[in-house]
Amino acid sequence: MRRLVEIIAVLLVGGFLFLALHGEHPGESETKTLIVENGQDDTGARNLVTAVYLGYRAFDTFGETIVLLMAVSGVIYLTAGREQE
Amino acid sequence: MRKTDVLDVAARKLAPYMFLFGLYLVSYGDISPGGGFQGGVVIASGVILLAMSPRTATDTFPPARLSAAEAAGFGLILAVAFAGLVMGAGFLADVVGTPGFLSSVTRAPFALLMNILIGVKVGAGVSLICLTLFAESHP
Repeated sequence: MRRLVEIIAVLLVGGFLFLALHGEHPGESETKTLIVENGQDDTGARNLVTAVYLGYRAFDTFGETIVLLMAVSGVIYLTAGREQE
Repeated sequence: MRKTDVLDVAARKLAPYMFLFGLYLVSYGDISPGGGFQGGVVIASGVILLAMSPRTATDTFPPARLSAAEAAGFGLILAVAFAGLVMGAGFLADVVGTPGFLSSVTRAPFALLMNILIGVKVGAGVSLICLTLFAESHP
């Protein structure tokens, strides 16, 4: 029974991935043109990835650091708590 | 895997080069591929290499200090974020700008500052995870 649930979950994930990646993707989009043309002037960074994750979308980077903090706390809580048995 | 003297000496001789490469990735994040997260993980892998020798990793990087470094890094990121709010430009806005006297070093000082803080935080966090898991299996 549990094996059936796992198989269904894997098939669902695979199906959604296929739907997302299948077909033609547009080569040009407004966001890409805007970032490529204005990225260096707006933020000063030559690396456009840095311009996006520290300039235009810095709040998501902040959330990412919070996620790492939660992960470290969770690991320490789950492993260090067992030594006190 | 038994810990021997050869592993000990080799790990302690090679780890500084990993730290140097991690520092390069963090500080050149705004020019070449890299950045805070990538460089932080490479610094953590240098700490994990030091764990090959019996007690060098926990002597040089005691877990109490690593968790203090991680908390301090997160506190400084929060301080920089709220500094933008206090100055009226918005949360996590570019508070440093482009000072003229630093333009030969870097053209994005805010990105450099954030990359260094993120590198410290991520490096300390991932090393803390790995050292905790190593201490679990070698009582």
